Amino acid sequence: MISRVADHCFWFGRYVERAESTARMLAASASLALDAELPAAQVWRPVIVVSGEEHEFARRIAGGDGDHPAWGDGEVVQRFMVLDDDNGVSLARSIRGLRWNARSIREVLSAEVWETVNELHLWSSSDAAGAQYAQQREAYYQQVRRSTQLVLGQLRSTMLHDEPLDFVWLGVLLERVSQTARMLDVHHHAFTSLVAGHELIETALWLSLLRALSGSEAYLKRASGRVGSEAVARFLISEAAFPRSIAYCVHSAYDRLCDIRPPERHELPGGISLERLRVLDAWVAARQREPLSGTMVHEVLTHVVDEVHAICGTLGTELLGGS
Amino acid sequence: MQGQSQSPGIPGLLHGYPALPGTYDEMFAAGAPRGPFARVAQLLDAMRPDEFARAQALAEHALLQQGVTFSVYGDSRGTEKIFPFCLLPRLIAGADWARLERGLEQRLRALGLFLDDVYGEQRILAAGVIPAEVVLGAAGYRPTLRGIKPPGGVRIHIAGIDLIRDPGGTWRVLEDNLRTPSGVSYVIENRLISKRMFPRLFDAARAHRVDHYPTRLAETLRSVAPGDDPYAVVLTPGTYNSAYFEHSFLARTMGLELVQAPDLFVEHDKVYCRTTRGPRRVDVIYRRTDEAFLDPEVFRPDSVLGVPGLLRAYAAGNVALANAPGNGVADDKAIYPFVPDMIRYFLGEEPLLEQVPTFVCVRERERDYVLEHLGELVVKAVDEAGGYGMLMGPQSTAEQRDEFRRRIVAEPRRYIAQHRVELSSCPTWIAERGKVEPRRVDLRPYILTSRTGPWVLPGGLTRVALVEGSYVVNSSQGGGSKDTWVMKETA
Repeated sequence: MISRVADHCFWFGRYVERAESTARMLAASASLALDAELPAAQVWRPVIVVSGEEHEFARRIAGGDGDHPAWGDGEVVQRFMVLDDDNGVSLARSIRGLRWNARSIREVLSAEVWETVNELHLWSSSDAAGAQYAQQREAYYQQVRRSTQLVLGQLRSTMLHDEPLDFVWLGVLLERVSQTARMLDVHHHAFTSLVAGHELIETALWLSLLRALSGSEAYLKRASGRVGSEAVARFLISEAAFPRSIAYCVHSAYDRLCDIRPPERHELPGGISLERLRVLDAWVAARQREPLSGTMVHEVLTHVVDEVHAICGTLGTELLGGS
Repeated sequence: MQGQSQSPGIPGLLHGYPALPGTYDEMFAAGAPRGPFARVAQLLDAMRPDEFARAQALAEHALLQQGVTFSVYGDSRGTEKIFPFCLLPRLIAGADWARLERGLEQRLRALGLFLDDVYGEQRILAAGVIPAEVVLGAAGYRPTLRGIKPPGGVRIHIAGIDLIRDPGGTWRVLEDNLRTPSGVSYVIENRLISKRMFPRLFDAARAHRVDHYPTRLAETLRSVAPGDDPYAVVLTPGTYNSAYFEHSFLARTMGLELVQAPDLFVEHDKVYCRTTRGPRRVDVIYRRTDEAFLDPEVFRPDSVLGVPGLLRAYAAGNVALANAPGNGVADDKAIYPFVPDMIRYFLGEEPLLEQVPTFVCVRERERDYVLEHLGELVVKAVDEAGGYGMLMGPQSTAEQRDEFRRRIVAEPRRYIAQHRVELSSCPTWIAERGKVEPRRVDLRPYILTSRTGPWVLPGGLTRVALVEGSYVVNSSQGGGSKDTWVMKETA
């Protein structure tokens, strides 16, 4: 397929996943802020850190001050993460990016996928959406999540399972790896230093993180109700059957790329990305057999985030028409 | 009027429809529906205005949700609008259409031969049928293309011919569009909507289908390919182009890939597409990019929309371009007055379609007449489209007339003039008044020409001037569209 079209497919996947993930994380944080006896900044600052927009938030919103009250102001943080047009990862920007990429590949998407994306876009810029954001925040996030989840379902059920969909899915999975890795990293660090020994709060925090990753029920099934730092980290990194774990996403991404660029077809472009993703997949799988405590979580996650970033770069030059 | 509402006591949709004096009404004659339309008019009139309003609102909502929109130029936020659409169809009787169809085929054959000749021997100029300066001085004439034979021998693969109907009911050609005519996607989308909203009505009308256009277009493109098993693509200037929806629509409904200029490159006079599996040879390009931007080596060097070397590949016969570059010389407004002569010269036939009588300012006698009668005439710049660069004499100010007088004297070749032509009118839903009123319409049928000759899509884009009293049907200036139902001929 045309490289530019493949690029739009890839970014379509990344934006749909990013919009869903942002809405989910914000809803989980808003809920955590109500329950846990935590300083507000401990709830909301991680949201900014996970998004990767710490410097931007500090510069534009918090006046360069790390202790500025904005870091703990749920309304300010949500406004930044939902409505702020200058924040490249705000929901508004993700939905617009999703729709723009969809429109660029309208002839590739199924009518069902396109109409759901278009409706989400029309809704998100409507007065009704503005009123819902102001009055029923939870329902607002729910609406974004429903639409994006519908897109993810329609992709599988209404499109040809061939190259364009492989690229969309590759985008979804690589975006998801980064989201899971960054979310776990930020929270793991914050929680372990914050609440050592305070079991009740720790449990609430880990469950909140799992909810933010749509994983609390899945985790509890696997862990028979026990909630602990190492168990949660292991679940989110290595659980092969959980569709947001790092192992699952990296392995599925490798499968998709194998369909796009079969390993034996050495004459085709994409070989460097494929090899790098294969190595990462094997490395993540090997973590299963290794201990996972203390600073090791951070090291594992840093390696994953860096590698995924690099793989996205080589995909861009090898397959997506970038230079 | 006319017809009895089926709900007693509530006036029907067409009740009291006031025909527009001085125009040919497309549906009614002397207060009664025209013969072939009686059944449809009766069913329409059985509808209540509030029912119709609901259907109309639903239709508009559906178009917006489906993204059947055009981009508004000069709007940096990339605003999109739906092309205003009136659910009341415009009907054309079968026998009427059959005559029109023959006239359009004839016109396309002659225009094709004219282009072959202008870019070949130029016999028509030597014979003095058309003044050489008018042809060779046309902005659309490309001397660099002379001697190049297009692959498959076709130049006007896709044409859109704008027609109007005068107060006597005679069809007249207003303008030929032989470069990148647009609008056919709305023909197909409008049909989908009207079938969904009014299935019974549509069934009763027995109208020709239009949804096979993409298949015919794909066949047309394949028919001119240089090799077997051709790879054809649609080339769009990009998502910000006002017709992007249509480009994407046609690619999707033909099952072809939609490409942008940076996706293509030329090597050894062959065109390739950059794909995820390396370069792929391209045989046919349905290009929706204006030819001035096609190839920076030949036309505008500043074009970022272009593909360097594309014209070399075309000249070498390695890629077919639809439409062929250079067609602008044939749909130039200054050439238009000579099309009937062209038909006689190349085909030895009398033209089947009338045109609008036109004064050519390059001819001194006609120019003098135009300058003396500016207040009565419509003056058009020959190289502008979309309703721009026009003087509407009867509505003009003295200042505007002086401005055009200066322009015509300075560059007579750039101007033609016509008496204002009255357009036909058609029952049209006026939402803010909640009723049906007459509004002026034109018609753009689409003609595909493959190796085997022209084919006319039975239908076309009816554009309607939604503003009361207006003659301007362009979507950029308050125009809308209607579904056009060409009825099957009854035995």
